[in-house]
Amino acid sequence: MARLVLTFNKQVIKEYPALKESITIGRNDDNTVVIDNLAVSGYHARIDNAGSDHILTDLQSTNGTFINNEKIVTHKLQHGDKIIIGKHILLFVSSAKGKAQAEEGGAEKMDMDKTMMLDTAKQRELLSKQKTAPADAKGEKIGVVSFIDGSDLGEIELTKKLTRIGKADTSEIKLSGMLMGATAATISRRPSGYAISFAGGMAKLKVNGEVVKESVALKDFDTIELGSYKFQFYQKDVE
Amino acid sequence: MEIRASGITDVGLKREGNEDSFSTDDTHNLYIVADGMGGHLAGEVASRIAVEMINASFQRWATNDTPLEEIYGSPDPSLTLPGNYISSSIRLANRVVFEMAREYDQYHGMGTTLAAIHVTPSLIIAANAGDSRIYMIRDGEIERLSRDHTIVSEQVEMGMMTPEEAETSPLKHVLTRNLGSSEDVEADVYEIEPANHDRFVLCSDGLTDLVSDQEILEMTRAENNPEDLCKVFIKTALRRGGHDNTTVISVFVSGIAKPRQPVFKKIGLLFADAIIGVQKALKKIKP
Repeated sequence: MARLVLTFNKQVIKEYPALKESITIGRNDDNTVVIDNLAVSGYHARIDNAGSDHILTDLQSTNGTFINNEKIVTHKLQHGDKIIIGKHILLFVSSAKGKAQAEEGGAEKMDMDKTMMLDTAKQRELLSKQKTAPADAKGEKIGVVSFIDGSDLGEIELTKKLTRIGKADTSEIKLSGMLMGATAATISRRPSGYAISFAGGMAKLKVNGEVVKESVALKDFDTIELGSYKFQFYQKDVE
Repeated sequence: MEIRASGITDVGLKREGNEDSFSTDDTHNLYIVADGMGGHLAGEVASRIAVEMINASFQRWATNDTPLEEIYGSPDPSLTLPGNYISSSIRLANRVVFEMAREYDQYHGMGTTLAAIHVTPSLIIAANAGDSRIYMIRDGEIERLSRDHTIVSEQVEMGMMTPEEAETSPLKHVLTRNLGSSEDVEADVYEIEPANHDRFVLCSDGLTDLVSDQEILEMTRAENNPEDLCKVFIKTALRRGGHDNTTVISVFVSGIAKPRQPVFKKIGLLFADAIIGVQKALKKIKP
């Protein structure tokens, strides 16, 4: 199965995963691959199947169709070919050939191996133009601890990546108590979510009733006890 | 606290040049891996500049205790002061790479990923931009302290693609964030408390393309020193094809004690006294 990757200025705009039937490329809306750019003709080129081959044909476009910088009228597409139409590049990827070439060490020919930079904002803008709705980005959440032990500490948002809890003045959450450590516990924000770690002191750290000697990941509504304090953890959406 | 670190880079079996760079600074405990990209080995320039800029600016600010207002760019309120030093030095390095790429034809389009870790007895700072990774191995478990900034990762996160599809997508290596491609960049920065026997691995995708997270965990637990661990990683990558430049840094931490003993002794004595007092009192009451 062959596919095309449309790029502009070294940025990937869209991927066309399966080239089964004939496809057309051009500025008009009824093309298979629509490239909205003045350098592109209404119907600029087409790719047809001939057995297992894919044949690219220029449709007498104004600015021409180029394969790896050579102007063509018809061309049998090979894995890794760059079809240049105006300022856009369509990379032709043939998966069957791709595997064989990679095994032969032809990885250098595959431009895909090189890491290209994609501007996410630009990608979303271009994708929406292409009428593909991107999924809504997951909302940002922030951790909150809510004290349920009658102390007047109330609700505290975890605005820091590392929140220190303890007797020390520099703690983000200051707790008191004879057995409380200077830093008794820390809550850290990781890529995978929040986690609480025991740091020191005589006051025991318990999560949902179980003693924590090192660290444990936090889930919504976990109940945490530290010395005589008790609080709940949850995540709320950031406005 | 004792920190032992080691780093190795290898050009691999398929590439002409090595565009990865790395540094291990045991004075400032700052460890950095950068995977460069760009035509005609400009990637090597990008990654080298990034590593040197970050070391230089972090060292200067840390040594001088530079206040937040004077570092490059706006400070991040969710980070500590050293966390902001790291974040800013990455921002500054990005600007330098970006300007060079813009100014010189032969560097046009160059860029680099970045993965860095700073280790002190009370704080670990992990920062990354791109798909080079930072792993923490703690208590027999492995956890990533970096996020992959790639299209496929974001699509997996958004539920638009499965992890298996991401593995085989030809877009696997297309980045959404790096140093050099735009004027401003924000690295993902994480801060955590160190724990005794923590081990950290920083690497470029030359390793992670060929070795799974589970295997990294097993290999890390099997070695006793960072030098041997790095050698094992490189050997494995080469044995499995060495399709890309491969760079790896291992950091082993030890000698961290949780402050408990002094208080325990005091409390122990107090309780002992109290119990003894009660026993004495009970003896007096009993007939």
